[in-house]
Amino acid sequence: MEKKNKAQSRRKFIRNGARLSLLLSLGAVSAAALRKVTTDGYVWQIDPFKCTQCGRCATECVMTPSAVKCIHAFDLCGYCDLCGGYLKPDANARSTAAENQLCPTAAIERKFIEEPYFEYHINEDLCIGCAKCVKGCTSFGNGSLHLQIMHHLCVNCNECSIARVCPSDAISRVQASEAYKVKGSWTNPT
Amino acid sequence: MKNKGIVIFLIVLAVVIIAVMVGDWYSKRPDRMEANKFEYNIEEFRKVPEELILFKEVKNFRVGFENPAGITSSGDTIYLVGDQKLKAIDIDGQLLLEIDFQDKPTTVEVEGENIYLAFGKSVKVLNRAGEIQDEWNIEGENTYVTAISGKEDFVFVADAGNRKILRYTKNGNLLDSFEGKADADDLHGFIIPSPYFDIDVNEYGDLWAVNPGIHSLEQYTDNGNLREHWQASGAQTENFSGCCNPAHFCFLEDGSFVTSEKGLVRIKIYKSSGEFLGVVAPPTKFDDKIEGQAPDVAVDNKGNIYALDFDRKVLRVFEKN
Repeated sequence: MEKKNKAQSRRKFIRNGARLSLLLSLGAVSAAALRKVTTDGYVWQIDPFKCTQCGRCATECVMTPSAVKCIHAFDLCGYCDLCGGYLKPDANARSTAAENQLCPTAAIERKFIEEPYFEYHINEDLCIGCAKCVKGCTSFGNGSLHLQIMHHLCVNCNECSIARVCPSDAISRVQASEAYKVKGSWTNPT
Repeated sequence: MKNKGIVIFLIVLAVVIIAVMVGDWYSKRPDRMEANKFEYNIEEFRKVPEELILFKEVKNFRVGFENPAGITSSGDTIYLVGDQKLKAIDIDGQLLLEIDFQDKPTTVEVEGENIYLAFGKSVKVLNRAGEIQDEWNIEGENTYVTAISGKEDFVFVADAGNRKILRYTKNGNLLDSFEGKADADDLHGFIIPSPYFDIDVNEYGDLWAVNPGIHSLEQYTDNGNLREHWQASGAQTENFSGCCNPAHFCFLEDGSFVTSEKGLVRIKIYKSSGEFLGVVAPPTKFDDKIEGQAPDVAVDNKGNIYALDFDRKVLRVFEKN
């Protein structure tokens, strides 16, 4: 009689254990599924306040041209005639002549607004992310030009090849829902 | 024998793979990478020939501000504002006066027996004991006072937000204002790309204002007529670079200008005619920050130059060599 009870309780124990394992597995699967629904993935992005404008974003990205582009915080811009991001420091004139432009691909378009103010637009197709303009703007101006990884171009490598060589560790993983770290209020008028 | 060949091949393959990985890892270290052809090197503009440096730093004080905002001098007393305080110290750094406010002062000026402090859209007038005598509110949605200067009869207030200079009586009556236009039909007067718009009155009672958008210093009559100006634009040492420079200036006793620049931070001296004289503090004297802030400057009655270094939060004293 006693032997029978022991056998029954062992069977019961195994049955309960199996039920518990199933429940735990189901819970874990549900939690994982829920997490996937409620949270998004991560993408690479540049912190413009850490960036030292070394120029590696142009050469190290797996994309050609680089997925890093210059963007312009118009609310920080002084709309200067003498723009440190547009003109070479030894420019012989404040004009759109190629020899006066700092950008190697002429990706910055200078538009006259009213005397003596000019607006500067980045042509994303031409920009190679070299950061020359960013360094000029940050060193001599208000720092309104800055680099960002453009997520419609970035292939989101498992290990970002630019992050790997970035001397200031300015590139890190950010949540895809907040994929950009922009200076000022980024409103890129077209 | 056949297996031995495969083993040797696999070992050689593993060694080659490891060598490639290690080589790649080493060559991609930032300090070992080849020079980047796209790097924009501005180091050449930071270098100043030794013979151009006319001053040396002799001492510095911690001013006790988390966010220093402005400095001026009167005789051998230095007045500083920052956080929500006004402090007065002597030339040895001894605290003489400390006054707390509810708001953050943006600039300070001492004229006659009064201390004038700006608080963005208002000016508070204190006596030398630090007691509030008067307060002037300045109308305008964009008003932002960046500098105050005075002479016997008037007090001038620089409003960077509205790009104009306001003239007040010592009692706080607004007399007039001007925008730096030589002619009413002129398209522009003061060009203020960012909130750096300094003014000062020299020993001879002449009002000077920076026009930072065009790197010029302009002298105006009391009622706002342009009398003379000089300009120095460019990245070289003898010029003002970038936008909004010089960000601050003051006068030596002989009417020479002491100028302070942001971005490529440097303090320099120009003759009263605008001719470049030399450098007080080259860029290498300041933190190698990308967005360096221009120190506010003042001069004591011995001709020493005081620079309020916003990045290091210290007051630095420069004496002639």
